[in-house]
Amino acid sequence: MKVVNIRTIVVLILIAVITIGYITNYSIGTFSAVGWREFALLCPLGAFETMLASKTFVGKALVSLIATVVLFALCGRAFCSWICPIPLVSRLPDFIKKRLMANKTTTHAVVSERAALADKAGADEQVVKPKVTESIGNSLVKAKCSSGSSHCSACHEKRGHLDSRHIVLGASLLSAFVFGFPVFCAICPLGLTIASILLVVQLFAIGEVTWTLLFAPLVLVIEVIFFRKWCQVFCPLSAITSLLSKATVTMKLRIDDKKCLETSQNRKCSACASVCPERINPRHPEKSYSLMCECTKCYECVQVCPTKALKIPFLPWKTGSFARVSDKHKEKKD
Amino acid sequence: MKTEERLNEEYTGTEEQPSKRGILSRRSFCIGLGGTAVLIGFGGFKFITVDPIIRPPGGQNEGKVIASCIHCEKCYEICPRNIIAPGHIEDGVLNIRTPTFNFKYDYCDWCEKENDGVPLCATICPTDALYLPAGAGIFSAALGKAELNPDWCLAYKMMGCASCYRACPYEAMELDEYGRPYVLEDVCIGCGACQAACISLSSGSISEGANERAIIVRALDDKGQIIYKHGYRGR
Repeated sequence: MKVVNIRTIVVLILIAVITIGYITNYSIGTFSAVGWREFALLCPLGAFETMLASKTFVGKALVSLIATVVLFALCGRAFCSWICPIPLVSRLPDFIKKRLMANKTTTHAVVSERAALADKAGADEQVVKPKVTESIGNSLVKAKCSSGSSHCSACHEKRGHLDSRHIVLGASLLSAFVFGFPVFCAICPLGLTIASILLVVQLFAIGEVTWTLLFAPLVLVIEVIFFRKWCQVFCPLSAITSLLSKATVTMKLRIDDKKCLETSQNRKCSACASVCPERINPRHPEKSYSLMCECTKCYECVQVCPTKALKIPFLPWKTGSFARVSDKHKEKKD
Repeated sequence: MKTEERLNEEYTGTEEQPSKRGILSRRSFCIGLGGTAVLIGFGGFKFITVDPIIRPPGGQNEGKVIASCIHCEKCYEICPRNIIAPGHIEDGVLNIRTPTFNFKYDYCDWCEKENDGVPLCATICPTDALYLPAGAGIFSAALGKAELNPDWCLAYKMMGCASCYRACPYEAMELDEYGRPYVLEDVCIGCGACQAACISLSSGSISEGANERAIIVRALDDKGQIIYKHGYRGR
């Protein structure tokens, strides 16, 4: 089963649980404060925003806030790919498009083709493989950048240590303080997704007809589908998770040099780099677009690796020959 | 399409010398400023004043609800009578998805049976947007007050209806000499039982222009005065 499908199912189950909790009055809460009755994992952004907006310290929010921050710190950005429904919403147009035009070549097709070529090359015991992949790569480059790659700044510019998300995060906190209400919470796509679902439930349950039924999905569509890269460019929650995952040691991507095609057989592969939605290059982190802290533990690279040389263990020890992938690229082996 | 583009970039990236990673690129900075501008623009809705709307127990400080509510919807879920509902854009942009009452089918008795008179919604609110100070009880903190509109009320058309009078659990309504109900505003605590019982929109001859029930619980302003919509001040 493709890992993207597993992620989709996990998110759909979470949404279903929240919706059922809403209908059956079990007080599960939504993504803003999920949990049983008084015990809730509070959205750290919402908690800080409301404390700044009301200029009061909320004692009971502190415990749940600490719990959430600890969870984020342990699992890094796993929230972004396994719990948050926004990637799912932003994939929706692609999904529909794929259903309408089924004959398009997808990345998975390209990658599996490449993996098949790798296998074939491995079987023949010849080092013709690099040539083959390069030809695929070059043809793709030609298809996109006809003027040549040297002037294309978008291809070269890397994401810095801070980016626009961190500015939006600062602006969310500052605007909450200045205007006296959590401004970002009002337009948070995560909240609007759940709100849209619950408004539909309300429409059928008690016949509540309101303009919000149009307003909430409209704002959501503008944010997530119009600005395709909401998560990478705007989301302040993603800024929080990436900041927290800078310091953590658990759930880090690890790579086994003995298995990796590049190090063991000196072949060009880059399958892991090509599937990463955050544009990390696990084999050559210094060439990545993003830093390792942006890893959302989506397991795409782990799945695509033709020799199973990648893994994301929860604990930082007991990893055998798997060495940690680090931005500094110093530690080849632990 | 997008993924293919990314694939290309990876390839060009691996072939050439890696570029340096800065702290914050100019492009990111500009996008961030754009996002900031949107947030500031949305924050401007704060300056559009709207009438306070009726809130669950502990939400009578309007500014506090707006400042502290993170729209987590826990209060709607916990409400044993299912009467807490999200506010809508019609109530003002800031009130979207903040807790309000829907007295369509039931009323609020501060969880008398379910939690010994301590409202569950105020208990579970994770950010204290609904916050009851110690000692606040059902009779000391009115949620609002009922306003009866005689133009739409069936009793005032001499149809003999007294549903609201019979429904009031706190004896805050009386009948005049013609059997027409009126609200005792000093006694009314805004529980919504009368509004839940009102049949003016569903039975009898519906009055011209009637878009809500003839008796509606109105929110109180910051001085504790009822905000009338129809200007009818009882007897």
